[in-house]
Amino acid sequence: MEVVVQTIISSLSLGSFYALGALGIGLLFGVLRLINFAHGDFITVGGFSLIVPATAVVAVPLILDFHPVALIICVVGVVVVWALASYFMLFRHIQTAPPAVLMIASVALSFSIQNLIIMIYSGRPKAVGLWAELTGVIPLSDKVQVPILQLVIVAVTWILLILLTLFLRRTPIGVEMRAAAEDFRMARMLGVNATRVIALAFVISGALAGIMALMYHTQTGILNFRGGVFLMLYAFIATVIGGMGSLIGAVVGGYVVGIFSTVLIAILPEGMRGFRDAFVFGLVVVILLARPQGLVPTRAFKERV
Amino acid sequence: MLLSVDDIYVHYGRVPAVRGVSIGVSEGEIVCVVGPNGAGKSTTLLTISGVLRPSQGAITFDGQSIGGLTPEAVARRGISQVPEGRHVFTTLSVEENLRLGTRMRRDRGEIESDFKRVLELFPVLAERRRGAAGKLSGGEQQMLVIGRALLTNPRIMTIDEPSLGLAPNLVDRVYEVLLELRESRGLTLLIVEQSSERALKAADRIYVLRSGEIQLEGDAAELQDGEKVRQAYFGFTEGVDHAGEAAF
Repeated sequence: MEVVVQTIISSLSLGSFYALGALGIGLLFGVLRLINFAHGDFITVGGFSLIVPATAVVAVPLILDFHPVALIICVVGVVVVWALASYFMLFRHIQTAPPAVLMIASVALSFSIQNLIIMIYSGRPKAVGLWAELTGVIPLSDKVQVPILQLVIVAVTWILLILLTLFLRRTPIGVEMRAAAEDFRMARMLGVNATRVIALAFVISGALAGIMALMYHTQTGILNFRGGVFLMLYAFIATVIGGMGSLIGAVVGGYVVGIFSTVLIAILPEGMRGFRDAFVFGLVVVILLARPQGLVPTRAFKERV
Repeated sequence: MLLSVDDIYVHYGRVPAVRGVSIGVSEGEIVCVVGPNGAGKSTTLLTISGVLRPSQGAITFDGQSIGGLTPEAVARRGISQVPEGRHVFTTLSVEENLRLGTRMRRDRGEIESDFKRVLELFPVLAERRRGAAGKLSGGEQQMLVIGRALLTNPRIMTIDEPSLGLAPNLVDRVYEVLLELRESRGLTLLIVEQSSERALKAADRIYVLRSGEIQLEGDAAELQDGEKVRQAYFGFTEGVDHAGEAAF
């Protein structure tokens, strides 16, 4: 029983995490057909912004010592600036190129960011004690204990999902963004400002990455120059499973991947747990064979401007 | 001239699609460009709206050059395009689609009354206001894109193949509405059509476009018998025509 409850909570928490990552990727894919492989590195950058830039082994706190509200604003702000800069300095200049070109540019950006981090902070992982009080547990009964952080991740994710949905449904600029994601050329012919919509998508995507940076580094307590890469990989397969370009699909895909990998850990025999990733990616293959468009298909692959 | 396209050339890669096309539209006029498939009609309209760039030639609107502007900038000048294939935003509601048309307007006071007028013009849109636009039939979608284009409060509306894929009675209805709008609001229209018959009936002036070049232009009234238009459209000279017959 306790195993079941704990598995449910862990899988929801992990699924939430992947869902947030998949949303960050899906938003940009929606308006720009960009599969942003640097999304994970935005998460890494958010983590490193907590400490003073230096190659020293022991990390000196910078933003880490701020009041929690200021801390959140600063980390999210740093990542948003990175995301916006990547648009205006890189992607904006190639935005009419085929999606493959955009994707390759994002891979290049990803490696550039990683190496920049190595240059500034050195390649060694560094300990960072972010919000240690969140790593405790709440005892539900004698045997069942729930990690506080997992509950926080689920709650934060759902608050963000609701806010994002309200934004896309209720605000005129949100409607513009949905229109642009479906048929960018037509949206522009109605006067929708392409630069503004895409820049805003980068802001939201960056903000999501910033919040993920906070949750991820609270969980791991370690800064690593490749910290966000695996997150990005899982979030990416979540978007693919869900259906590229569908935001609902991104969330569904995130939970499918999160739940599946947590359940695998619980049910696989001891000796096979190390091969979990093989099973997760095997699931991707099976889902794509059955539904090549993803679970929630869209018209995203139609030609655009 | 409200809109004048002056000797433009447009290429897809190295292939020329439009070669030296000139078209003029005066305020309050209905101008039709007819021509067979692949004549360069849609290319011309997409170039006017800033989606494609002419490699040569000028486009002026209300005395100012608009060549090289982005599609959104062209739209903001008052040129509203209804492109081929209807292009409703299927995942948005009918109302959201319509409201998108009003986003670039500054005259907030008039938007609501214009919105009501469009719903009166197309009652079916009022009925389906909250429903997804993707659920509308082809004819209803055509009404929606025309209504949406109207809500941008354009000075000129360009329409690519308004009758494409519509049942004949719906085509009549679309043209009825367009003529009505010209009467009631002095709307200027540049329409592209494959069928020259329909265009001849609605238009003040006609251009026949084939193989990327203007073959014929003139007042619709003078071309009413249609023979000259047919010749320009199909490119038959008398001799070739007879040669064709002889081959049978």
